Amino acid sequence: MNDQIVIDKAKASLGDKALEITNPAPRRIFIRVKVDDLLAAVGWLRNEMGFTHLATISGVDLGQAFELIYHFANNFTCVNLRTEIPRDNPLLPSICEIIPGAILYERELQDMFGIVVQNIPDGRPLVLPDDWPAGNYPLRKDWKYERPPEVIPGGKK
Amino acid sequence: MKFQIPIGPQHPALKEPISLRMTVEGEIIRDADLRLGYNHRGLEKLAEQKTWIQNIYLTERICGICSHSHTTCYVQGVEKLMEIEPPKRGQYIRYLVSELERIHSHLLWLGVAGHEAGFDSFFMYTWRDREIVMDILEIISGNRVHYGINTIGGVRRDLDEQQVKHILDSLAILRQRSEYYQHLGTNEPSFVARLAGVGYLSREDAIALCAVGPTVRASGVPMDVRKDDPYGIYDEVPFEVCTAETCDVLGRTVVRIKELFQCYNIIEYLLKNLPTGPVAVRAPRRAKPNEVVSRYEAPRGENIHYIKSNGTDKPERLKVRAPTLGNYAATIKMLKNGFIADVPLIFAAIDPCICCAERAVALVDARSGQEKIISMNALKQLSRQVAAGNARKREAEWPL
Repeated sequence: MNDQIVIDKAKASLGDKALEITNPAPRRIFIRVKVDDLLAAVGWLRNEMGFTHLATISGVDLGQAFELIYHFANNFTCVNLRTEIPRDNPLLPSICEIIPGAILYERELQDMFGIVVQNIPDGRPLVLPDDWPAGNYPLRKDWKYERPPEVIPGGKK
Repeated sequence: MKFQIPIGPQHPALKEPISLRMTVEGEIIRDADLRLGYNHRGLEKLAEQKTWIQNIYLTERICGICSHSHTTCYVQGVEKLMEIEPPKRGQYIRYLVSELERIHSHLLWLGVAGHEAGFDSFFMYTWRDREIVMDILEIISGNRVHYGINTIGGVRRDLDEQQVKHILDSLAILRQRSEYYQHLGTNEPSFVARLAGVGYLSREDAIALCAVGPTVRASGVPMDVRKDDPYGIYDEVPFEVCTAETCDVLGRTVVRIKELFQCYNIIEYLLKNLPTGPVAVRAPRRAKPNEVVSRYEAPRGENIHYIKSNGTDKPERLKVRAPTLGNYAATIKMLKNGFIADVPLIFAAIDPCICCAERAVALVDARSGQEKIISMNALKQLSRQVAAGNARKREAEWPL
């Protein structure tokens, strides 16, 4: 199975759902889909194409939207499924039904970007401390870390 | 009756801070919960404020054992973004250090496995021999842990004839010692009996939970980034992907020992075919807006970096997924229905590197934590039911 076979099959099976297919380097295929077609595309990749290994999910803050890239791999090539969700309504369907191993990456997205993953089996906060202030999402571009002022217990005299 | 036993964040059995919460019935773990975040450093955010060169040294400090894995994964991605190709000699030295790092990591793991299984002389032997490879790394790079040998466009130090000879001589000793460990690790009856059948992870579960590295290979899945997605020079180097079919901690031990021999072969090949010429090319300071997915087979499994550039001298986004993170979901599965005494062994068998995984994440499994009051008779009945369905050590086959 090489890149061209995957691209041809993607064109045939996904049809209009695949908005853009690029192949910038050997063994790197990027497919853009709408967020509504995400589950169908993930199911197709896993069940029909044998891309069982989800390497990770990368989130990128584009300003007006969040871009999510699902990196899939099998023994021959690596397919990156790309989708976008609006920043003011960041809703994303969970793919844990299809790929149980995705739970960590989805919880990470919730913590770091404030994306709401729908139907996630376990949506508790993951990375950030328990007393982390609500509404702070560190990997958003407009979030800046400010070091809290140092307070010496008892006060400095 | 279910109890919850917390292990960590600070615990003598764990070397790094992580919190495991076991729900146990007697000796048997019914559910496990993992909480991370005790070592979180916000590294991905920090990387967006550093230049391409500074980030090499930042990614090197993700981990203290597979430090070279992270820089190589990062550097080979950035080289693609900057559209430069490192010279052949530079690549050979870079991946030579990679394989040396794999040897030192696997020897370290063997020692830890021996220690967790109560076989401390094995631990001391393997760690003594690990010093040989640490010395080689020090001779090549000047450092034992953070080698600092990678740079964008190649490597920072060259090898001379004497060093090559020293490495080949040391390798002969290591090979001889590893043969002894292979014999010992798979034939010593008490050691094998301790490891066999512990931490069972079926092939289907390993695939479904996206496990990586020796964990997935020990479940009979031949997945190795060096073979599947050959980066650098791995398409010209002959080697085999090592797998085991036993799906348990013994299998993970066998896979790692077999991989040691593959590493020795690769290093010998690299040194004997070392090309001449420069070791690095000059790299530009900026990268055009683009994106790249860089994959690398670290000692613990697949390491993946997603790098996006925006035309400046700093990355727009650097996403790091270390192999340990990919193995946590599988670890929960392995712990379930196992014995509480096997926790350190199972957990050590994925070769966890907490600081690698801690730039983000933790995980939990569904729990039905209901409590109710029942009569003594009902309790007895329940205990009999439970005993009938108890986990037993699986029948394991003698490996040799």
